[in-house]
Amino acid sequence: MAVTKMINHWMTCDGDSREYALRSPETSPLSRRNLLTAALLSSVWWTKRPATGITELAVSSNGRHDNVLVVVFLRGGADGLNVVVPYLEDSYHRERPTLRIRNPLDLDGFFGFHPAMAALLPHYRDGELAVLHAVGSGDTTRSHFEAMSAMERGLKAEGPGDTSGWIARHLNATRPPAASPLRAVSISSIVPDSLRGATSAVAMTSIAEYRLEPPFDKSLVLRGLERLYEHGRDEISQAGRESLTVLKEIEQLDPAKYSPDSKHPYPQSELGESLKQIAMLIKADVGLEVACVDRGGWDTHVAQGAESGWLAGNLADVSAALSTFAGDLNKEMERVTVVVMTEFGRRVYENTGLGTDHGRASFMLLMGGGVRGGRVYADWPGIDRDNLEGPGDLRVTTDYRSVLSEVLERRLMNTATTEVFKGLSRPRIGVFA
Amino acid sequence: MLAGCRLLQFQEGESLPESVSLPTQRVEAHVRLLNRATFGPRPGDIGRVDALGRKDYVDALLRADGSESLGLISRLHRIDVLRMDGSELMDLPREEIIRQLQQAALLRATFGRNQLLERLVEFWSNHFNIYARKSEGMYLLPADTERVIRSNALGRFGDLLAASAKSPAMLLYLDNQVNRKGVPNENYARELLELHTMGVDGGYSQTDVQEVARCLTGWTIESRFLRPRGKFRFDSSMHDEGEKLVLGTRIPPGGGISDGERVLRILASHPSTASFISRKLCRYFLGHEPPEWVEQTKATYLRTNGDLRAMLRPILLADALTEAPAIVKRPFDFVVSSLRALDAVTDASLPLQSYLTSMGQPLYQWPMPDGYPDATASWTGSLLSRWKFATDLVGDRISGTTVSLKRLKERGADWSELIAKPNSPLKLGVDDERVALLLCSPEFQWR
Repeated sequence: MAVTKMINHWMTCDGDSREYALRSPETSPLSRRNLLTAALLSSVWWTKRPATGITELAVSSNGRHDNVLVVVFLRGGADGLNVVVPYLEDSYHRERPTLRIRNPLDLDGFFGFHPAMAALLPHYRDGELAVLHAVGSGDTTRSHFEAMSAMERGLKAEGPGDTSGWIARHLNATRPPAASPLRAVSISSIVPDSLRGATSAVAMTSIAEYRLEPPFDKSLVLRGLERLYEHGRDEISQAGRESLTVLKEIEQLDPAKYSPDSKHPYPQSELGESLKQIAMLIKADVGLEVACVDRGGWDTHVAQGAESGWLAGNLADVSAALSTFAGDLNKEMERVTVVVMTEFGRRVYENTGLGTDHGRASFMLLMGGGVRGGRVYADWPGIDRDNLEGPGDLRVTTDYRSVLSEVLERRLMNTATTEVFKGLSRPRIGVFA
Repeated sequence: MLAGCRLLQFQEGESLPESVSLPTQRVEAHVRLLNRATFGPRPGDIGRVDALGRKDYVDALLRADGSESLGLISRLHRIDVLRMDGSELMDLPREEIIRQLQQAALLRATFGRNQLLERLVEFWSNHFNIYARKSEGMYLLPADTERVIRSNALGRFGDLLAASAKSPAMLLYLDNQVNRKGVPNENYARELLELHTMGVDGGYSQTDVQEVARCLTGWTIESRFLRPRGKFRFDSSMHDEGEKLVLGTRIPPGGGISDGERVLRILASHPSTASFISRKLCRYFLGHEPPEWVEQTKATYLRTNGDLRAMLRPILLADALTEAPAIVKRPFDFVVSSLRALDAVTDASLPLQSYLTSMGQPLYQWPMPDGYPDATASWTGSLLSRWKFATDLVGDRISGTTVSLKRLKERGADWSELIAKPNSPLKLGVDDERVALLLCSPEFQWR
């Protein structure tokens, strides 16, 4: 069976990563810190670091690992049933006479991708992409605000509990002794709630903003900063040296002139542009641990379309952007995990406006290193009327927090995920090798 | 538009008090005092401290009875959240409320004459932190900043605590508005013990938390029809009238609202609270917790019933202040001290506030109840944003904020003393760069 083969393939890859992890980081000539020190000692600011390989999987001597989490949040409640279609369910075709997807791209004989997601199919078949279904929170308000807030705070449901963001709690629980000044970035104008409480999280609409452009002689200012921060042993001086190095690295990046190492260019969309810049940051190896990006437009109450139309356009964009991102990062995708999530799914039956209303469970995607892909993970509750929740919604059978918690544990070396997701008791999904 | 604020500045032509001739050590000591007891020196402040004498200067700060400048008064007068009450504010958008709250805080910290008061407002705003974005919390927050924090910042801790416990913003933030008989919510009770009073090692038990929560059942927010919405309300139907035992004290049944008030008095006079608050004040003003200072401050707390003036005076006058370790400036401190150092004129509107956001400290937006962190490591990621702010400020690129280095130089301002350690890199370049670099320097990130 093809799927089994894929899993075996990925287990081999994981074996490789373990081997790399055993290498002593101190002796690695490629470690970021060594380079940094060398750059400072030689006062050569523009040192171009050698291309990074998967050696970066190792946890370095300062407790820092080089894995990166990329969270793509689909805002508005993406219709999981038309994204990952349960095409063998009679009820699906019955309840959605107009909106049903007639020709899904088969995933496992039961579920199929929306045809606009063709770009992701090879990644699924290569075992790099895992699909989860019937996932969601415990929030039953079906309010965007409440459901999103619950998910960004990392709660089962909106209400009492941690007010900080789940990613912020992760970052605070895992701060390495010498953290990069750019541990977390959000490609947006303000940091999302998931990063609230992380003082080191930076929001930028473009990496072109990560610049120092003083209204007077720039070289003089940079030289001055270099000298001011040259010798101090205090934490601020050390951080200043590190910030100057990262600044130099990022200033060399020009999103307008960048061409990806993938077959296809990034789609000319906000998401494509954001993922391109995230890829540039990952390749620049500036110590990035988490990147967040939003993709709106999923609140398809009216005229959501079927094989073509509004939802199809969204999915084509997301699929092309993710596929290019993975191709662009190529081998470096080994140290990257992409999570695609949304606050809730949509009602099983279509409404009279040829759209769908707010529902409960939806889908998630996981892509990247260590993912046991090529499978749909679902404790499928069924969509016959008797199995639905509330006004007619897919039940949540997998807590979204158990997925995220597995990501943090297995990929971001977080050994205290119970601090991030308090009160979470969960069965292992086993989505990582 | 900026005319009002001009009054904040020195009279035209006034030269700044002489200070360059002071011995370096004395300048260092004055800068330290100004960095800790105020939001940093403005041009001339060092000379003023020296002329007045440290003792009189500190006593004036402690009295905090200086009348505010007309510039500040007229600016604050235009801020709706300071004039309107809860229900009237509901007409304003949520973001506008948060914007105005930040504006008021920035203006007062930068231009307020009673700088020690402003310092303590910052201190208590973090001690009794409230996240403005929880639910509709921003609408309740102005009443908290004005009538809880500012009114009691330099008074007695017990009064501050009692006011905070009846603050609708706090009750909403820590879920006490849903704390009711039979289904207690312990969130506020726990933070009250752990973060507001006794400290996590203060000697209370899990049962104490539950009992305190029971005492505070029914402390909620008015939401009944035609009543003043958003005010504190004790709802006796939600209150657990049974007997409670809090920290060994029996609270007899049928006490109503007095149960909670009694708990607050027990907490305010508890030695663990005296110790916890003293340690925190020492950390904020001295940068560490030297046992002899913690003990002395604690003793004063217990003797004076938590009189903050009495506790702070010896700390501010001590040699220990000069010798204490450096404390990293949080972004708010950095921004305000920069504005003061350059005698900037600002309306503290959104363009200025956005720098705080990019440095990681948008005011009233720390989600956790422990307030913005004071650990250096929490702020090492903000340096690039600080450098951007410093260069934009000196380069006059922040809309609504202006500086005039030329005018200041004519009056004899010398910024090198602000970091007390003028070092060689600052000598390079022409003036704008040099002043910007001074604000960018590692030394200026510490207070």
